[in-house]
Amino acid sequence: MNAAEITLPPVLPEAPPIPEKTLRRLFLTLFLRGHGLRGLGRQGASGAPKSIAEKLGLALLFYFLFGCMALFFLRQPVFALAVYLHALTFVFLGMFVAASAGEILFNKEEADILLHRPVSPKAMLWAKIRVLVEISLWLAGAFNLVGLFVGLGSGRNWRFPIVHIFSTTMEALFCTGCVVLVYQLCLRWFGRERLENLMTISQVIVSIAAVMASQILPQMVMRVDRVLNVSEVSWWVNLLPPAWFAGLDDAFSGSAMLGSWILAAIGLGATALVLWIAFDKLARDYEIGLQALNETVSTRIKRGGRRRLADKLVNLPPLNWWLRDPVTRASFLLAAAYLIRDRDVKLRVYPGIAPILVIPFIFLIQNHGHGGSNDPGFGVPFSGVYLGMVPLLGLQQLQFSQQWKAADIFRAAPLHGPAAICRGARCAVLCLLVLPMMLLVALIVWLMRGNLSQLVLFLPGIIALPVFALVPNLGGHGVPLSQPTDPAKSATRGLNMIVVMIIAFALAGLTSFSWTQGWFWWLVLGEAVVAISLYSGLRLALAKSTWPSNE
Amino acid sequence: MISLDKLTKRFGAQTAVDALSFEVSPGQIVGFLGPNGAGKSTTLKMLTGMIEPSGGRAAVCGFDLQTQPIEVKRNVGFVPESGAVFESLTGLEYLEMVGALYGIPQNAARARIKQFIAFFDLSFETLTDKLLGAYSKGMRRKVVITSALLHNPPVVFFDEPLDGLDANAAVGFKALIQTLAREGKTIVYSSHILDVVERVCHRVIIIDKGKLLLDGKPDELVAAHDSGTLEKLFTRLTGGTELERRAEDFARTFRP
Repeated sequence: MNAAEITLPPVLPEAPPIPEKTLRRLFLTLFLRGHGLRGLGRQGASGAPKSIAEKLGLALLFYFLFGCMALFFLRQPVFALAVYLHALTFVFLGMFVAASAGEILFNKEEADILLHRPVSPKAMLWAKIRVLVEISLWLAGAFNLVGLFVGLGSGRNWRFPIVHIFSTTMEALFCTGCVVLVYQLCLRWFGRERLENLMTISQVIVSIAAVMASQILPQMVMRVDRVLNVSEVSWWVNLLPPAWFAGLDDAFSGSAMLGSWILAAIGLGATALVLWIAFDKLARDYEIGLQALNETVSTRIKRGGRRRLADKLVNLPPLNWWLRDPVTRASFLLAAAYLIRDRDVKLRVYPGIAPILVIPFIFLIQNHGHGGSNDPGFGVPFSGVYLGMVPLLGLQQLQFSQQWKAADIFRAAPLHGPAAICRGARCAVLCLLVLPMMLLVALIVWLMRGNLSQLVLFLPGIIALPVFALVPNLGGHGVPLSQPTDPAKSATRGLNMIVVMIIAFALAGLTSFSWTQGWFWWLVLGEAVVAISLYSGLRLALAKSTWPSNE
Repeated sequence: MISLDKLTKRFGAQTAVDALSFEVSPGQIVGFLGPNGAGKSTTLKMLTGMIEPSGGRAAVCGFDLQTQPIEVKRNVGFVPESGAVFESLTGLEYLEMVGALYGIPQNAARARIKQFIAFFDLSFETLTDKLLGAYSKGMRRKVVITSALLHNPPVVFFDEPLDGLDANAAVGFKALIQTLAREGKTIVYSSHILDVVERVCHRVIIIDKGKLLLDGKPDELVAAHDSGTLEKLFTRLTGGTELERRAEDFARTFRP
């Protein structure tokens, strides 16, 4: 190696690349490949690791299949079809943008790589927005594909596909703009110091809201056949963004009523306003936000704050008895710290368990006033079983972290296997997630039913809880904070939820049936015997398990 | 080439850099020293436009940091302490991406990259076939150094550049920055490895708690303070007293 070997040629002036295009390509590549891939060689001809490309393909297939429901609208007016397509597109895009925007807009790692390069924060912001909108449009395209042909069929206007593609693009821009705007307003109003917390809170709330909407909207859509045209809808529907974009479709390719034109104008105006405020008026706030993430300020833990509370808790009964083993205790404190403080972990865990609150709540509402005072309906046992699955879903998400490489310290420690580490994380999930949720759901049941006796219907779920909690750790897997975050974004989360729902439906159905038939307590007894046997066996297997391969 | 005038950075009530003023001429290698938390990295981040100063002024290559940040960035190269890269890109993709941000066409960028990988003893196959996440720390550091020099900047800031480099690469790197300085480049070199700084740098700036403590040629400073070595001068200035005795006392606590 000789320093004289390096003679730098002058920069060639011809055909210089455009930084904006480079950034867009970069952010798209990073999105598709994910951040931080340990030990992976380049995979596949495109260079994208296959797993992520396949997962994206699966997601697009899922959206396409879901979009086939548009066939039910073959004989409906344009406005009804458009409301359906835009409502669900809005939910899907909202979920995607809310889940991805924080990581894409404010990625801590990129500060050291990009902030000293000659690109303006505005160019970076636009490149990221373009990527968000581009991927949003892929998802929207897959979902709306069948709808475009349905819009063409039944003698409708040939302009529908063109107008609908335009209105969906507007909707994607509006969705992305709104999320960016929320971040920028948070920055402006609350300042740099609280940015991280605000990002977390706002993302968690938006994600939970999106999950709730995804559960509630399809039920509303089932009644959309009543939304025949724009003049017949309730006034409040006109306040919802999907109605504005549906108005655009209806104005140019449907009834062309005055109401549709007004909705279309509102949609276009709102999109333009949001984009102007987010990308022009408040672009400076984005720059401040980027720099804020780059500033390493030591954050002091408040005296008497969470840290001390966690420390106090582990020294009090029953936790000091439960966490006698120092490794379990240390793992409990680690998992608790991440569940309380780490933005990335919170963003995965809390939205991940949101359906557990939402779905039983929907059943409780549906069963409200159903049957006699002794008839629990399906809602209460369903809530109980869902509660039993909180540790399973929580622990599955807790194994992912941006600091996953630090978990190598577990392997370096003189431990035969991950059993004690996993046990500490399970205890943390039980204390910090399950107990508060149990109290909350019990409160909801009590308020809605005015009958505490029905809370015994939680028992089948609670008895199954310890078994469910061991499932993520089987075979020594599910070590807390030990996996890179990207796989968590995959479509497998949806698959897990489907499995969870099937089990929940089966157990809750059995509970409800046994209650009405009068052999509920026999069911509890039988389940307890099975659960104790399974739990003992699984604990034994877990205690014997060694560290899984790190390759 | 670099000019700081009462440059200040405050994080809330904490002042990280406190009215720092100095100038650096072309062709100088300046060792920028200080204990942990002295404000070195914050100063470098301000000078590269990564964070905004709270007060004072600074200029690089005649461009004002606050009013012409893009021009400043075009004229500096920076090797951050973190050595962060986009791990899901290959080395070549990463370097070509960096080149494109400076307006270097792909072919020209690739020609330069080949020069650098030859210098750093990296194979082109490694650069094209492996994602950066699979690189060793030293290989990744070489890619980061390459990315800082790719656009041929007149001013280069290094923050702990030797971290992760093996002995051969470190020797080559030291020769490289001396050659670059002879060709007129200004180099600001922040490191805790003081003997390297003493051998390589024309001038040393020592700061502590955000304030300038000393500024001068290493041998002159050592002689003026009768310290023997730069390391001894540094520990005396930055409060590292009785370090050997404290280390011995501490080591004794490990006796069974």
